[in-house]
Formats: sequence, structure tokens, C-alpha cells
Amino acid sequence: MRIIKKTNIDFIGKTNSAAVLSTVLIFAGVLSMILNSGPKLSIDFKGGTFIAVNYTDPVDIETIRSELSSISIDGQTFDFGNAEIKYFGDESNIAVRISSIEDEPKQFSKKFTDILANIFPDKVPTDRSNFILSVEKVGPKVGAELSSDAIMAMLSALVLILIYVSIRFEFKYALGAIAALTHDVLITLGVFSILGYEVSLAVIAAFLTIVGYSLNDTIVIFDRVRENAKALKNIHIKDVINQSINESLSRTIITSLTTFFVVLILFLFGGEVIHTFSFAMIVGVLIGTYSSIFVASPVVIKMASK
Amino acid sequence: MQNNLTPRYLIIGIILAWAIYALMPTWQYQNMTEERKEELRTTGELDKIESKIIKQGLDLKGGMYIVLEADIPTLLINLASVDDDRLKSVIKNAQEISISQGLNFFTAFKNNVIQDDIKLSRYYHEYGSSLDDILFSLEEEADDAINRVLEILQNRVDQFGVSEPTIQKQGNHRIVVELAGIQDSERARALLQSTALLEFYLVKNIAVTNEMISQLDDALKGRDDLSLLSSSQNQMPKEILSEPSTDDSATSVSELFGDSENLEKNSNGNNQDSTDEPFIDAPFSNLLTAIPGDIAVEEKNVYALKKLLLMPEVESRLGNSKGQFLLSQSLQPLSANSAKKYYRLYYVEEKPELTGGIVDEARADLGSLGSGSAGQAVVSLTMNSDGSRTWSRVTGANIGERIAIVLDKKVHMAPSIREKIPGGRTQIEGFASITEAKDLAIILRAGALPAPVNIIEERIVGPSLGADSIKQGTQAVILGLVLVLIFILFYYKLAGVIASFALIWNILIVLAVLASLQATLTLPGIAGLILTIGMSIDANVIIFERIREELRKGKTPKTAIDSGYNRAITTIIDANVTTLIASLVLYQFGTGPIKGFATVLFWGILISMFTAVFITRTIFNAYVSRKTLSSLSI
Repeated sequence: MRIIKKTNIDFIGKTNSAAVLSTVLIFAGVLSMILNSGPKLSIDFKGGTFIAVNYTDPVDIETIRSELSSISIDGQTFDFGNAEIKYFGDESNIAVRISSIEDEPKQFSKKFTDILANIFPDKVPTDRSNFILSVEKVGPKVGAELSSDAIMAMLSALVLILIYVSIRFEFKYALGAIAALTHDVLITLGVFSILGYEVSLAVIAAFLTIVGYSLNDTIVIFDRVRENAKALKNIHIKDVINQSINESLSRTIITSLTTFFVVLILFLFGGEVIHTFSFAMIVGVLIGTYSSIFVASPVVIKMASK
Repeated sequence: MQNNLTPRYLIIGIILAWAIYALMPTWQYQNMTEERKEELRTTGELDKIESKIIKQGLDLKGGMYIVLEADIPTLLINLASVDDDRLKSVIKNAQEISISQGLNFFTAFKNNVIQDDIKLSRYYHEYGSSLDDILFSLEEEADDAINRVLEILQNRVDQFGVSEPTIQKQGNHRIVVELAGIQDSERARALLQSTALLEFYLVKNIAVTNEMISQLDDALKGRDDLSLLSSSQNQMPKEILSEPSTDDSATSVSELFGDSENLEKNSNGNNQDSTDEPFIDAPFSNLLTAIPGDIAVEEKNVYALKKLLLMPEVESRLGNSKGQFLLSQSLQPLSANSAKKYYRLYYVEEKPELTGGIVDEARADLGSLGSGSAGQAVVSLTMNSDGSRTWSRVTGANIGERIAIVLDKKVHMAPSIREKIPGGRTQIEGFASITEAKDLAIILRAGALPAPVNIIEERIVGPSLGADSIKQGTQAVILGLVLVLIFILFYYKLAGVIASFALIWNILIVLAVLASLQATLTLPGIAGLILTIGMSIDANVIIFERIREELRKGKTPKTAIDSGYNRAITTIIDANVTTLIASLVLYQFGTGPIKGFATVLFWGILISMFTAVFITRTIFNAYVSRKTLSSLSI
């Protein structure tokens, strides 16, 4: 069986339309990030508390919100009416995100879950230990450190890859690869910002995997270009690249499809905890495949014609 | 080619056999009933098996992940021979700078000391004379402190009774604690965070206490920013509770009543005189409630009270009379049918009579019959010889006075001293349950922490979420695997069978490596496994597409396979090395779950090069060499 017959598509000829598409995507994402003053960061980076609880029956978020708008813990009154309150998985699970509190009462998360339990006392599981799904608390100091760690991780991955590709190929290929990766991460970040999804530690892990995956795709094409360039010395680099993309097209599509399937399954069936992670992967696989054809290769051509 | 195959078979055979061997314990363990596990636990064999299975991360089995940071600034203040405000402000400043600029605390401290021209030798003469000497010794002291903290916490957790707790140092001043399957996170947190600083303070008598309260009222009167706190102003309870205090039966009720009635009248009077603004007239005493034997603070007033106590005019007056207010450890209703809950408030001496590591032995018990604490949880203490001597002197010299037994600045009880206590024995009461008493005994036995610790990061996964994650994760892995296998079989036919075989082995070997490395499988790790499925099939896709291409050029199956593999191999290596780099970086930077993801991705890709290239090649070669093929099912 063959899905892709021998093709001869002029990919490089479509570079300009692709450039427009990429620019629009990146611009929309960046604009959204500027309007929202940066990507939406999870408590991993901002610091704060995330509490997810499990009622036995579906509950109404607005009731919780109005109850939380004035609560008292140890005589200290709080207004969590503006906190982010969401369903977590299904409508009987609730997740609340609270930013860091200065001079937080002792045993805050316990007292807070007690308050949540008291809003719907008859919907709390008989075994109270099943009520709490998850509590995460990150101090502002740790948040700041995790942020700088994440940025360092992204940068050092990019630099290491740049070095490896420069050694194995040529510097212009490395530039093409890095351009594609930056493109992928920017667009995925933009999609997250537009949809209001949070960037957490897990999403950063997804970004790094996207970097690895997208590069994988790019290198397969570059490898073919390197091979063809030796055989077809007199042909313009543009045509060599075009031919190489066409020759490896069936592999690109099949691999992208299989990877897309598995991350889609992860997204659909993997559960709430890795939902945003798998979403980032889905976006990443699509964008990564696109960028290895329409971003990485054109950059190499641009660099070569200089 | 025939000759080359035998060593290949051997290598593959050995690795596959090893993978099965490595996965056996995990398989056994998964199929074991709970009873069988218990049985093996008693013989100690379970530990052996557990050390060979794939460990589940906290996000899968539920549990607690806590990062504690030693409070170095407080340690430095404690170490100083003189602790004045100047030193405190320099230390506090240095801490703020170190947080905001991401500096090492000691670097910031040094800069501040130089900048403010402070003579450190005035405070730390025991640690050297020059600035650098002192700083060096203090840093050593801090390192030493964190190591002792680690040891003490280890001790506490060992006695807490969770399976496989891990406690590790992270960086210089941090400790990571992982506790699996914790149900009661508050209890675990209290056990870890308690400094376990046990102190004995004399309680100031009631006249002095009342005098101080009215002084504070005067001092605070007219401060206009108090209205901020008045939202939590107190309504004095109208009923006077005559129920005798359970806390201290030895103090005569009538003796105290005179004073506390005064207090009551005062406050009530204030309430009536100026019902509109009572808070402003007697800001301090209005937060208090008189109860027989003691003063109490209603729960909702605690925050306001603490704020008041931190105000400079309050601090200076307390400092002048060498006293301090401490709250009781537990929150109690004044009577069984009262919904309001109160803390007791004690006015005690500034300096403790007895402090620190004087505990020899601590044991949780139920109070013996006939004593005041019959049936209640108590902790019995035995002190060492130093402690015993001081204790007997202090009790002997203060008969009739009350002494507050204070743990981590919270009063557990404040009995009257009836007689001199020789032999260094005492009992602590005031626990909500026997568990709480047991935990305190653990903490006291393990000793006080040399520096307070703060929880700076905390992640708890409930058992039900963990179970869901395993279920959904496994489901997704199997579904993803099946889908990819079907697709590959359909698309590449016989070659697809070979690739599918390799893919299944890929996953098994990854799991075997995880089991033998004692690596932890986390939920992101499962995601990594799924991703490995997607990405490792890529190597076969690259090879097969190449073989097809060669076949189209008219090559025979044998040469097509040879050149297909030879050409594909560099592509595969180049493409995979970059992903390996990404996974190594991820491992380096990530914590817990993310590390689990990086581990799986790393091994998955590495092993896919063996299974998808080496194993499939061997099978192809065996297949091709057997007969002269004219066509290839690919």
C-alpha cells in the first residue's frame, strides 16, 4: 500500500505563501501575549496554590465562587471570588487556583479544602481522603527559580542542537533548524495564549519534546539534501531541496500521522492531568511537520544564496 | 551474510532474555494478592521484590512531595551572642535582596555588612575575628545545620511509618521529602515542619498580666489604622462561664476570679460606654475574653491579635517589662454546646527557664486513672541530667507559680507548680488525640531542628487521582500501541509484522531498563512511553520507505534491503541524537514527574535504535537468505 505516490510538488515555490501563514500565526500569538502581558503561567512559575477536589455529584461553579468571595480563616477574611475556578475533568471535580498569599494562615490548604467541603456537605465522599484530588503549592521564590530553569533549559537545548547540527551538517543547516524550532515554540506558545491555556512545567516538557520531534523531521529532510547535493552537484540548491522534500515526503507524512495518532489518543484518553501536555504535543506535531518543510529548508536556501 | 547472523542472534537472544528476567518481579508483583504481599512482607522477601520492580511516581500512587528550606536568617539570629535590631534588620535586608536578585544569601549578607559597616565580631566573637573568618564559619555552621536537619527529619519520618520515604538534600539549604500514599497531609506536614523547640516559661501572675493589658490598651488607643482590623472585632460573650478549666485544676478558681471579673467588667463596661466604637477605646482587651483561670481569644480575633502584638508600641512595652504573649496550641470550645472556639492566651516571661535538647526519652500515653489527665493523651518526658538539675531548681524556687510548657512557641499547658520535681520527669497534656501525642513524642525523641525550616513547595496527589491516572495512562498506551500496530501492518504487510515485533520489544526493553535502574515511572513517563511508540516506528518508516525506493529503482530485494538500511542509518542516528539531547536537557532541569518523562524518552529512543534497526535487520536478513526472493512484501 502506498498513500503517497511519487510526487513532484514545488514546495519551495510556495515559500512565500507559507511565510505569510507563519507570520500571521506568530503575529497573532505574540499579539495575544502582549495583550495578556505574557503567556499565562501556571503556579509552577508564578507561585500560588492549586487545589483540586472531587465531589460525588456535579456542582455549580457560580455557587462556589459566591461562597468563596468572602471566607474567613483564623479571623482573616479573604475574597477568592476572582480566583480561577474550573471543572477538572468532569463537572463533579473542581480546581481552584489562588495566587501566593502574603502572610498565609497556618494549614491554609487544609482549611481551604474544609471550606470547599462545607459548600456542598452532602456531596463530599464518605471517605474524606478521597475528597482531595491534588494540592500544589509553590512559593514565589521557587516559582521564580523554576522560570529561570525553564528558560535555561530551552536555551541550552537550542544551543546544544545548534552545535550538533553544525558539526554534522553545516552552519547554515543549523540556522535553518533553529529557525524552525523557534517558529514552532513561538506558535505553540501563541496558541496557548490565545486559548487561555496555562504554561506549566509539563508544558515546558512538551515544548522540549516538540523541539526534539520537529528537529527529527527537519534532519531527515536535511539528510536527504546532503545526500542529493553530493550526487547532483550542478543543480541549484533550491531544486536539490525541493527534490529531497519530495523524496522524503511519504516518510514525513506517515511518521507525522502515527505520532499524531498517539498524541491524539493521549489527549483524548490520557486524563485531566496531562491534558495540556498532550494538547501542546498535538499542536507541536502539526507545526513541527509544517516547519521542517516550509521554514527550515527555505532558511537554508536563503543562507546558501548569500 | 549467513555467518554474520549467529552472533546477532546471540546478542538479541541475550538481551531479550535479560528483559524478560528483569520484568519478572514486576509481573509477579502486579499479580500478587494483598494477602500474599503481607505474607511476604513479614518474611522480608517483599522488600527484595520491591527493589526490583518498576517504581511508581507519587503522581501515580498518590502521596506528598515537599521541599523544605532551612531558615538561614533565623539560624544566624539564633547563633548571635547579642541579637539587637541592627543585626536583625541587616539579616532581613540580606534575605530580601537574595530573593529579589537571586543571590546567595551569604553573598548578600556580606555586602550588607560591609555597606552598613557592621562589626560582625560584636555578634559572633566565637566564630573568629575577621569578617571573612566569621562568614566562613557561619556558612559552615549553616551547612552543618542543614545536615543535622536532614538527619533529624530522617529519624522522624522513619518513625512515622510510611513505606519507602525518600529524603534528600537539594542544593545547599533545601531538603526534598517524598512520602507515598499519605492520607493525612496535615499530620505529615506538622511532623516535618515542627522545629521541636521545647521551652519552659514562667507565667506572669494575673495582676501583672492585667496591668500589661491595660497598658497596651492605652498605648494602642487612638491609633487610626486599627479600624482596618475592626472588621474582626469581638463581641464579648454575655454569659460568664463557670465551668472549671480542664487545663489546670490546681489553680484555685476563686483566686483568679477576682481579677478576671475585673477584666470582664472593664471590657463589658467599654462595650456599653461606647457601643459605636468599642474597638478603638480598648483595642487590645476587646479581642480577649475572660474565662475561669485564663484569658482566651476567640478564633476570629486571632489574626487581629497577632497584628496588634507586632505593632512597635506593643513590642516596646512588652520588651520593657520583659514579657511576651503566647497562644495555646489547641483551639477549644469553652463548653460542650458552644460553637465558638478559643485559644488561651498566656503572658509569660521573655526568657525560658529551661530549653533545648534536654529530652532523654519521650513517650505517648493515656493519662493514668486518678490524675487530672485521666484518659487523655499525654506525652511523658524524661530529661537528661542537666535538664533534671535545672528542672528541679526551677520547680523548687517557684512553688505556686504557673509554668508554661511551650513547643514551637505554642503553649501546650500551663500548670501550677505544686512541689519541687526531682528526677527530671514531666508530662505534657493538651492534645486533641493520641496520634498527635505520638507525633510529638516522635519529634521530641528525634530532637529539635538546629534551624527552622519552611515549606517552599508542596505537591499532594490524592490516591483516587493517582489510580485514575494509572488507568487512563495504561489505556492510552495500549490504545496508541494497537492503533500504530494496525496501521503499520496494513501499510507495510510482512515488513510491518517485523516492525511491530520490534516495537513491542522496544517497549518491553524500556520497561526492563526502568525496573533494573530503579527508575520511577510517572504519568509524564507514561506519556513518554506513548511518544516513544510514535517516534520509534519512525526509524522503521525511514528504512522501509528507503527500501521501497531502492526496489522501484529495480534492485533485487536483497540489495534493496542492504542499501535501504545503510542509507537510512545515518539519517536515523542524526535525527535521534537531537531528540536524545533534548531529553538529557530535560532530565537535567526537570523535577520529579518531568524527570520521569525524560528518562523514558531517553531510553525509549536509545533502545528504538537497537530494536528498530538491529533486530529488524536481523530478521530481514534471515528471511532473505533463506530463499531467493523475487519480490518483497513491504
